[in-house]
Amino acid sequence: MSVLREMFENLLSRPITILYPKEKVPIPAAFRGRVAIIDEKCIGCSKCSLVCPAQAITMIEGQREVEFRGKNLARKKRPQIKLFKCIRCGLCERHCPTEAIYLSNELSGSGTDPEVIMV
Amino acid sequence: MTDPVFGLIYIFIFPGFLFLFAYALVLAFLDRKIAARMQQRVGPPFFQPFADFIKMLGKEVIDPAGVDSGIFDVAPLVALAAVMTAYLYVPIVGNSPLAFQGDLVVVLYLMSLPTLVLFLLGWLSRNIFSAIGGIRSVTQLFIYEVPFFLALLTPALMAGTWSISEIVVWQQKNMWFVFLQPISFIIALIGLQAKLERTPFDIPEAETEIVAGPWTELTGRRLAIMDLTIDVSLVVGSALVAALFLGGPMIPWAVTPAWLEGVIGFFLFLAKTLAVLLVLSSIEVATGRIRIDQLNDIGWKYLAGASIVQVGIVLVMNYLWVYA
Amino acid sequence: MPEVVVSIGPHHPALKEPVNFKVVVDGEKIVRLELDLSYNHRGIEKAAEQRDFIRVLPLMERVCGICSHSHSTAFAKGIEELMQIEIPQRAQYIRTIIAELERMHSHLLWLGVAAHVIGFNTLFMWTWRDREAVQDTVEEMSGNRVHYAMNEVGGVRRDLTAAQVTTALERLPNLEERIKKYVDMVNTEETMLIRFRGVGKISREEALRYGTVGPTARASGIDYDIRRDDPYLAYADVPWNVVTDTNGDVYGRTRVRIWEVQESLKIVRYCLENLPEGPIHVPAPKNAPKGEILSRYEAPRGELVHFIRTNGTDKVERVDIRTPTLANWTSVAMCLVNQNLADIPVIVAAIDPCLSCTSRITLLDIHTKKTGVMSLDELIRRNRSRDHGQV
Repeated sequence: MSVLREMFENLLSRPITILYPKEKVPIPAAFRGRVAIIDEKCIGCSKCSLVCPAQAITMIEGQREVEFRGKNLARKKRPQIKLFKCIRCGLCERHCPTEAIYLSNELSGSGTDPEVIMV
Repeated sequence: MTDPVFGLIYIFIFPGFLFLFAYALVLAFLDRKIAARMQQRVGPPFFQPFADFIKMLGKEVIDPAGVDSGIFDVAPLVALAAVMTAYLYVPIVGNSPLAFQGDLVVVLYLMSLPTLVLFLLGWLSRNIFSAIGGIRSVTQLFIYEVPFFLALLTPALMAGTWSISEIVVWQQKNMWFVFLQPISFIIALIGLQAKLERTPFDIPEAETEIVAGPWTELTGRRLAIMDLTIDVSLVVGSALVAALFLGGPMIPWAVTPAWLEGVIGFFLFLAKTLAVLLVLSSIEVATGRIRIDQLNDIGWKYLAGASIVQVGIVLVMNYLWVYA
Repeated sequence: MPEVVVSIGPHHPALKEPVNFKVVVDGEKIVRLELDLSYNHRGIEKAAEQRDFIRVLPLMERVCGICSHSHSTAFAKGIEELMQIEIPQRAQYIRTIIAELERMHSHLLWLGVAAHVIGFNTLFMWTWRDREAVQDTVEEMSGNRVHYAMNEVGGVRRDLTAAQVTTALERLPNLEERIKKYVDMVNTEETMLIRFRGVGKISREEALRYGTVGPTARASGIDYDIRRDDPYLAYADVPWNVVTDTNGDVYGRTRVRIWEVQESLKIVRYCLENLPEGPIHVPAPKNAPKGEILSRYEAPRGELVHFIRTNGTDKVERVDIRTPTLANWTSVAMCLVNQNLADIPVIVAAIDPCLSCTSRITLLDIHTKKTGVMSLDELIRRNRSRDHGQV
C-alpha cells in the first residue's frame, strides 16, 4: 500500500508549498521578463519593430549620437513599446544588432489597455 | 432530568448546541488540514470553516425559475434540526440526561434525514444534474443502510439494551466492543463514510460528472446551513461510533471525585472522536470515487454478508458466554 | 426511464476545454452521442498567411499551450525541408531535449487530471508536484514554462550552457524514482484499477477504422510511432523503444503514457550527456521555393500533421494543421455508447483532449441548427459565387 505509506510520511514532514510572496523562488538567468531598452546602444535600425509578431514596437523620433563599431552615428529614431501587447517571445532581442533591446528578469506585469505605451 | 436550568445549559451551551457548533467547525478544520498535509500541501488556517460559514450566510440566494423557493429555504433547516437533535442523545460527558430505551434507533433515524432532504432538493431543482444526483443519493442510502444498521445493532444485542448510554456503561464494566466485534467496527466506519458522502462514496456529489448533484442549486444561507449539517453529522457520527465501540466518555475504573471523572471522560471523548476522524480522513485521501453500480456490488456482496456473519457470531457469543 | 438529453458542456467542471457533448441517456446508460466542437476557433491558419517566416513561428507556437513546441517544430521542420537546408546536429539535439521534456510534462499533467476526474485528488497533487521538476528545467533552459520560443527557421535560438546541462541531469534521478512509484500505483492501486479497467475499450480493428493516433492507438496494440517510422530530429541516433499495450481501454492508455514518460526520461538523459558541439543555427534564406510539404511530428497526444504550401514568397500560401485530438474524437464518440454516465469524463480524459489545437473550421446552419464541415475549394467557390456564400 504505497499510497498509505507516502500519506503518513507526508503527514509528518513539511509541506512543499512555497509561501509566495513571503518566500520566493530564484529566477533563472534565461528568464524572459519585461522588455527593456538601453538607449545608449540603440542605433535606430528598426529591426525590432519589423520582427515583432505582435506589432508592439513602433519607431518614434529620437535623435541621439550613438557609437557603433567604432564610428559615431546620428541616430534618427528609437523604439517605443506597448508593453501589454508584448508576448515576450524574444525575437527583438534575437535580431537586435547591438543588444540594445533585451528581456530583463523582472516580471512583465499586466493591464487592461493594450495600447498604452510603457517603455 | 430534574433541574430545568441544568437541562437548558446542557441542551444549549455545554455540551449542547454551542459546543456542537464549535466542535463541528474544529473537526471540519482538522479534516481539511490532515488531508492537505497528507498531500504535502499547507491546508487552511484554523478559522477557515468558520469564515466560510459566515461568508456563505451573506451571499446572494439565487432562485431558479419555476422552483418552489419555500421548500428550498426550509429543507436545509429541517436537516440541521434533525442532526442537532440526534446529538442530544449521544453521551458526551457521562450519560446523556435525555437517554431512554430505544434512543439508538431514534439517533439512526434522525441521521438519515439529511440524505432524504438532499434527494428532495435534487428532485425539486428542475435540472437533470440535480435529479441524477438525488437519485444516486437515495440509491446509496439503500445500499449502505442495511450493513450500517446491522453493525450498530450488534453492540445493542450484546449489551442487552437499546439505549446508547447504557451500552457505554456495559462497556465500562466489561470490554470495549471494538475488541469483541471488530467486523462491526469496520463496517460501521465504512457506513459512516458513506453516510457523510465522502470519497470513495461521494457519488451523489461527484463534482467532475454531474456538476454538484443535488447541491447545485443551493446558494447563500441555504448552502451554509447544509454544509453545517454535514459537519454536525460528522461530529454525531464519530461520537456514536466512539460511544458504541470505543467505550464513549467513560474510563474503565472509577475515579473520585465525580467531577474529575467527568472531566477526564470529556477529554477521552475528544480523543476518541479525533481518532475516528483520523481514520475517516485517511480513507478519504487514499481512495478515489467508485461508481454507483460498483457500490451496489460491494455493498450487497461484502458489506451486507459480513454484517450478517457478525450478527450470527454475536448471537453465538451471547448464548455461550455472555448470558450463559 | 425515457431518453433524456444531458448536455455536458461547453461549461462543465469535468472538461477543461469547451466542447459540447449532447449525450442521450437512458437511466445511467448512454444511448447516443452528438458532438459539437469549434467553440474557440481563432483563425490561426489565415493569420499565418500574412506573416513572414520570422514572425510566424511565435504564432504557430501559440496554437496550443501544452504542445507548443510540437507545433513550432513541425512548422519549422517543414519550412526547412522546403528550403532544403540542414540544421546542425547540436540544434537537432536541443530540439529533441525540449520536445521530450514537453512530452514528460504533458503526460504527468494528464495523469493528474485523470486521477482528478475519478475523484482521487491525492494522486493529482502528487503528480503535479513532480511535474514542477520538469517545468523548472525547461524554465532554466528556455526562459518560460510553456511557449519555449526555442525554434527559428534554421536551428534553435538559445544554446544550453554546461551549467544548465548539469542542473538538468541532477534533477533526473529523483524524478525517475517518483515515476517508478507511479508505474506501481497505476498497476496496483485498487481505486484506479476499478475505474479504469474495461472502460472505453477499443479493439485494434476499431482503432484502425476510426483513425486513432498516439497513445490511444498504441494502447490498442497498433505499433506506430512517427519518431521511429518517419524519423526526424535526433530520434534515429538515440536508443529508445516504442511503448504499446494490448488492453485497449483507459487502463491501457494510462500504462502507455506512464511508460512513455520513462522512455522520454531516458532520451533526455542520453541527449544531455551526448550533446554534440557546434553551431546552433545556420542562416536561412528569406523566401521559400514553391512547393508543398506534409510535415509530421509525434506530439504528446499523437500524430500532428502540418500541410504547408509555399509559392516563392517569404510567407506561406496555405498551412493546414491536423491535430491528434481531432483524429481521436471519433473513437470517443463510438466507444461511449453503452457505457455509464459516470464514465464520460474518464473516457474523454483518456484521449487527452486539447481543444485549443483542434478547432479548425465548422459550419453553422442557422435555419436548420445543424453543424458540419466544408472543404477549402468549396469554401472558395462559395465565396466567389454570385450570392457570396449566402445559404
